[in-house]
Amino acid sequence: MELIIDGKTCKANPGDSILNVARREGIAIPTLCYHEAFGGQGSCRLCTVEVTAGGRSRLVASCTYPVSEGIEVKTSTPAVEKIRRNIIMMLYKRASGSVLMQKLYREYGCSENSLGEKEEERCIVCRLCVLACEKMGTSAISTVMRGIDKRVGTPYDQAATACIGCAACAHICPTGAIEVLDSGNTRTIWNKNFNLINCERCGQPFATREQIDHVSRLSGIEDAELCFCEECRRKKLVGKMQGFSPC
Amino acid sequence: MTTMNKSLIHLLLVCCGTGCVANGAREVYQALKDNLTSDDKAVLAATTSARATGCHGLCAQGPFVRILPEDITYCRVKAADIPEIVEKTLKQGEVVKRLLFRDRQKKTLVQGQNDIPFYQRQTRVALRNVGLIDPSSLQDYLERGGYRTLEKSLLDMRPEQVIEEIIKSGLRGRGGGGFPTGLKWKACAATPAQPRYIICNGDEGDPGAFMDESIMEGDPHSVLEGMIIAAYAVGASNGFIYVRDEYAQSVASLRKAIEEAENHGFLGENILGSALSFNIEIVRGGGAFVCGEETALIASIEGNVGEPRDKYVFPSEKGLWGQPTIINNVETWANIPVIMERGASWFTSLGTEGSKGTKVFSLVGKVANTGLVEVPMGTTLREIIFDIGGGVPKGRSFKAVQTGGPSGGCIPSELLDLKVDFDSLSQAGSMMGSGGLIVMDDRTCMVEVVRYYLSFLAGESCGKCVPCREGIKCLLEILTRICHGQGEIGDIALLEDIAETMQQASLCALGRTASNPVLSTLRYFREEYLEHIEGQRCPAGICRELSEFWIDPVICTGCGLCLPRCPVEGIKGEKKQAHWIESDKCIRCGECIDSCSFQAIKVK
Ligand SMILES: Cc1cc2nc3c(=O)[nH]c(=O)nc-3n(C[C@H](O)[C@H](O)[C@H](O)COP(=O)(O)O)c2cc1C
Ligand code: SF4
Ligand code: SF4
Ligand code: SF4
Ligand code: FES
Ligand code: FES
Repeated sequence: MELIIDGKTCKANPGDSILNVARREGIAIPTLCYHEAFGGQGSCRLCTVEVTAGGRSRLVASCTYPVSEGIEVKTSTPAVEKIRRNIIMMLYKRASGSVLMQKLYREYGCSENSLGEKEEERCIVCRLCVLACEKMGTSAISTVMRGIDKRVGTPYDQAATACIGCAACAHICPTGAIEVLDSGNTRTIWNKNFNLINCERCGQPFATREQIDHVSRLSGIEDAELCFCEECRRKKLVGKMQGFSPC
Repeated sequence: MTTMNKSLIHLLLVCCGTGCVANGAREVYQALKDNLTSDDKAVLAATTSARATGCHGLCAQGPFVRILPEDITYCRVKAADIPEIVEKTLKQGEVVKRLLFRDRQKKTLVQGQNDIPFYQRQTRVALRNVGLIDPSSLQDYLERGGYRTLEKSLLDMRPEQVIEEIIKSGLRGRGGGGFPTGLKWKACAATPAQPRYIICNGDEGDPGAFMDESIMEGDPHSVLEGMIIAAYAVGASNGFIYVRDEYAQSVASLRKAIEEAENHGFLGENILGSALSFNIEIVRGGGAFVCGEETALIASIEGNVGEPRDKYVFPSEKGLWGQPTIINNVETWANIPVIMERGASWFTSLGTEGSKGTKVFSLVGKVANTGLVEVPMGTTLREIIFDIGGGVPKGRSFKAVQTGGPSGGCIPSELLDLKVDFDSLSQAGSMMGSGGLIVMDDRTCMVEVVRYYLSFLAGESCGKCVPCREGIKCLLEILTRICHGQGEIGDIALLEDIAETMQQASLCALGRTASNPVLSTLRYFREEYLEHIEGQRCPAGICRELSEFWIDPVICTGCGLCLPRCPVEGIKGEKKQAHWIESDKCIRCGECIDSCSFQAIKVK
């Protein structure tokens, strides 16, 4: 099927989102909660665009809007720009400690106002970390609470049994909100301490015991074969998880 | 009105709705049963029947005992009153005056329910059986014509004809969105996928609303019948009723009704000998206000977190487990059988151009008669609040009415003659929502009220999307500052700017409407915001930092009523002489204002 994005006729398949098509065509739409690995969540709304279908125009989230024949999309109208600016402004006010938000706040030309800033906060609740952890097969973290108090955490904020210390969550986090403390052979993440295993070849600490066991269990590959750091391994063992896992 | 067995002389309807049960209605009903069956009254027992019914509507005056055919309505009845009612009224035909309804405006006693002003202007369609039948008795429902239209639809009509009739009736969903019900069904029937599902939305999360509760409790079969008719119309195999967890009595009532309907062949395999097979299951909701939003509700039934999804494809095409699903509100369902029975043209004779039929409202707040009210669409706010509701009590004046639940808007006195329907309320910057009406008097600070609504929504949104989650947080921060006297000049523009983004970009209707309270009050009560910000004054005397009270010596009679009400002994004065407030002691609680019968206490 065909649709028009910013005046350009684009080919699309049923089931595509507007964002998918735009990315394929090299048309930029900003996003915060989107990642290729998980698809659209529709939560940050930064990807808002204007769609005209059947003579009616409306503002939609391009990462979740399924394309249909003949729709016309505008990715940057004054209304869209204003929404994006306000979203960035509000997220910056929430997470003023995040370097990414500070940068976007400047880029989007947000104007000063009377709302307070939270220097100590970095998380923008995009949920990418939760999705990454889910994809690891661990689901150690999730969003907790609701409404304006919604945040990410482990069950009861205790060290989670399910957490394997892989730090996939921290790697995917766009704002650096998740603390991973590696010192010598210990790693601390989400209030839990892990021993780091040294690479059999180069001797550098590179992964947690729990992480190697977990990967071994899922992939059926023996522990012994997993005890090399990425550099040394050179073989792609767990292709599916490579994007997230440093092992 | 209701059918009475010929050999019966008296039918007693005892309200056993949740409100009255809380005030001892079960004991009243038990006392009545005991009294009627005790030996020496065997004759009475044979000619009198007592029924535990659903809500009579005027809950503040309950428990009610209504005696037919005379229509004698007793209010605030206690179990101890029963022997007197039996002796005097049932045996000797005498009315017990002290239990009658007191019309405070006309200062008269009113005998029949139909003569109480609260009931006079109502048209009961969705509530047609509530308060008249025993909800646990299928027999009662059948006597009122129940399941007759199901039979008619199943045996004499094709599914398309049923859908056509509902489209023609112009029925719009009573759960808030006001979407045309027939079109929703048509879209579902036109989607090829099988199986298809039917959902009844009984989440009713609006604080203070209880219209759906009263229907589920008081007339559960009407909801079931509506759902079964829809199942036939769209070819659905399974139905779910999602009931708010607090509604234990609704669950019990629905459960019993489902069981009886199954036993009598109205549910299950080959309903009434037709090809239709359909089951209904009850699901108990346990979530936030947002779980009433249809996509969140569907997620919740599927066992997922109750968060909404983008609705670019409607549930009628892709709903529960990705299958075509019809989801309608309790009151919408209760309207279906009567539309099918009396026909679309009867239904369209009620209401306005764009909104047909009636609507049930829960009328609460600063109004004399609080309760459930069903009126034709197009009835004015003035009729509902003043004629039915009896106006604002305690000599105070009307300031605004909040419609549409927590994310509705506040409508000022200039618009009291607004004919209430879906479209007029939206045009006025509010909405129908599920039918909540909260009346506010001149002791209400509009900024503070809005702050309250936003703080409710702050905890009841799911918090998934940024415009809603962060928007509510920002609005709340600004409003709280304004109420504390720390508002800034640019705050009003900032409120409007954020509100607009919330409306345009939020994922679900909660976020898209959450700014209604702010925007509607900025439209009608902007002065009051400015008073708070620039004038550093709260005209209603509610925001403590911005209120200062004084007693007008000309009006004060020196009655002394206010004196003991002041918690800090800050009021001074001799009896029969003007009193005064010691402003350095005053903690601005406002207790004195509400205690003064002469309105002598003013806000500076
Ligand atoms: C935040 C929110 C809460 C809602 N709560 C309810 C509710 O408690 N009951 C209800 O019937 N509809 C509720 N709705 C509306 C439903 O999403 C849906 O439109 C409705 O159940 C459809 O039925 P109807 O067409 O018969 O009204 C809510 C909507 C939103 C956005
Ligand atoms: S470290 Fe790995 S397992 Fe632990 S929370 Fe992060 S992603 Fe999940
Ligand atoms: S911690 Fe990072 S990835 Fe996780 S929700 Fe917050 S910002 Fe997103
Ligand atoms: S608008 Fe509010 S309630 Fe709706 S999805 Fe977004 S955060 Fe959740
Ligand atoms: S990228 Fe689409 S909503 Fe976040
Ligand atoms: S519960 Fe009895 S009148 Fe409402």
